[in-house]
Amino acid sequence: MAGAGLEVRNLAVGAAGGAILTGVNLTAAPGELVAVTGPSGCGKTTLLRTVAGLLDALSGTIHLDGHTPAAFGWPQYRRRVVLVDQQPVLLDRSVEENLKRPFSYQSANGGFPAARARTLLDRLGLEPDRWDQRARALSVGQQQRVCLVRALLLAPAVVLLDEPTSALDEAATGAAHVLLREEATERGLAAVVVTHNRQQAPEWRLPMTDLRTNMNGPRAANQEPRHEQS
Amino acid sequence: MNSPEASGAIPLGAADVSIAAALILLAAGVSLALRLHLERRLALAAVRTVVQLLLIGYVLKWVFDLEWFVAVVAVAFVMVLAASRAAVQRPSRTFHGATWRAFVSLVVCGFLTTVFVTGVVVGKRPWYAPQYFIPLLGMVLGNGLTGISLCLDHLLESLVERRGEVEMELAHGATRWEAGRDPLADAVRRGMIPIINSMMVVGIVALPGMMTGQILAGANPIEAVKYQIVVMFMIAGATSFGCIMTALLAYRRLFNARHQLEVGLISFQEERH
Repeated sequence: MAGAGLEVRNLAVGAAGGAILTGVNLTAAPGELVAVTGPSGCGKTTLLRTVAGLLDALSGTIHLDGHTPAAFGWPQYRRRVVLVDQQPVLLDRSVEENLKRPFSYQSANGGFPAARARTLLDRLGLEPDRWDQRARALSVGQQQRVCLVRALLLAPAVVLLDEPTSALDEAATGAAHVLLREEATERGLAAVVVTHNRQQAPEWRLPMTDLRTNMNGPRAANQEPRHEQS
Repeated sequence: MNSPEASGAIPLGAADVSIAAALILLAAGVSLALRLHLERRLALAAVRTVVQLLLIGYVLKWVFDLEWFVAVVAVAFVMVLAASRAAVQRPSRTFHGATWRAFVSLVVCGFLTTVFVTGVVVGKRPWYAPQYFIPLLGMVLGNGLTGISLCLDHLLESLVERRGEVEMELAHGATRWEAGRDPLADAVRRGMIPIINSMMVVGIVALPGMMTGQILAGANPIEAVKYQIVVMFMIAGATSFGCIMTALLAYRRLFNARHQLEVGLISFQEERH
């Protein structure tokens, strides 16, 4: 039976027309950061969206702490396993309103932690005067950091990060890495970091699942079969 | 029933209608001169206007003379069906099952509102008296389908365009209702714009067709105004309920029980012009 943390078994993802990834196995125990790599277009984003419950899996199972998403209730599950998209998605409102938004949902089980929000923004190099600024007026890199903070404020069990540092400079990338490590150590956060950058996993010292062996369809033939998992 | 002359209306002969057609010919001439390429569509629209109105004139005369419940309901059914098809054909996008959802909305909101107005407000007995029921239903459906098609157009467009936002909300623990509420509310508002605009300017910018018709037919303007007020309220009520119901039915189809947005169900439809 599945244990603590996220456990994905034999997952096939894609559209009804056909699977683009099959046989994906992935675990992220509390406090563990793992990387998922694969070439562009191989289905990494589809995999994350499926694990987040935004898309149905074609087959296979997903468990969080031994329970299926349906057992949690889908909104509650998604609050525990939060997806942060590669393209930052923010409402056309202030940074503060964006951060507060998920605390207005029925699934919220506490008030908005304003002090922690300010601390996290500060940790990622966003000055306090950004608080009242229109979120969409920020640079893409700054928006990406606001999205990361919005996810962490929910105190999730797992964050699913889709190319989380694609628009960040070296300093901001380092700050994000340090913050994730601290959240993992101090709060038991698990993170699944999807990246096409095979250098990022060793740099961040993350155990890596390479999706090239799971690829289905014509693209798979062009990939050398290799599976690294540590 | 009073003859048109007795009720004050000046009877129109075929020659009078032909003279009116000169206006269409003039418009077609302008189109040709300016190369607007509207003349064929204008001619088709004019022919359809004549044929459709003559046909409905004969059908209405038959139904009015008959005053039979089944015949009235059958005509009403065809009107609602045609309105629901028109309502879902106008938006640039559609989804499987859109027509029957519009049909249910128009039956529940349009048909029942008209029954209420004919039977309770006007107090006509029986409530299906065709001389009242069918014209009133026609006005409700004509406006209702415009509202519903605007509402559907905006909702489907918005769910596709704002998919990122909707899914971001879902990904942070929003229920499907919380994630879909803003696009839904915007769509209903959009559907209501024409009737609210009409209500704002009625009597100032434009005299409504029904009121004008009654006055031309010799009715007391005050009586015509009372009817027009009832009609405006009836249309506004039916359109708002129709938009809300259509939007809710569409929302229930496009967001599944797992609180996922099934944007793949939305497709473009070919422009029908």
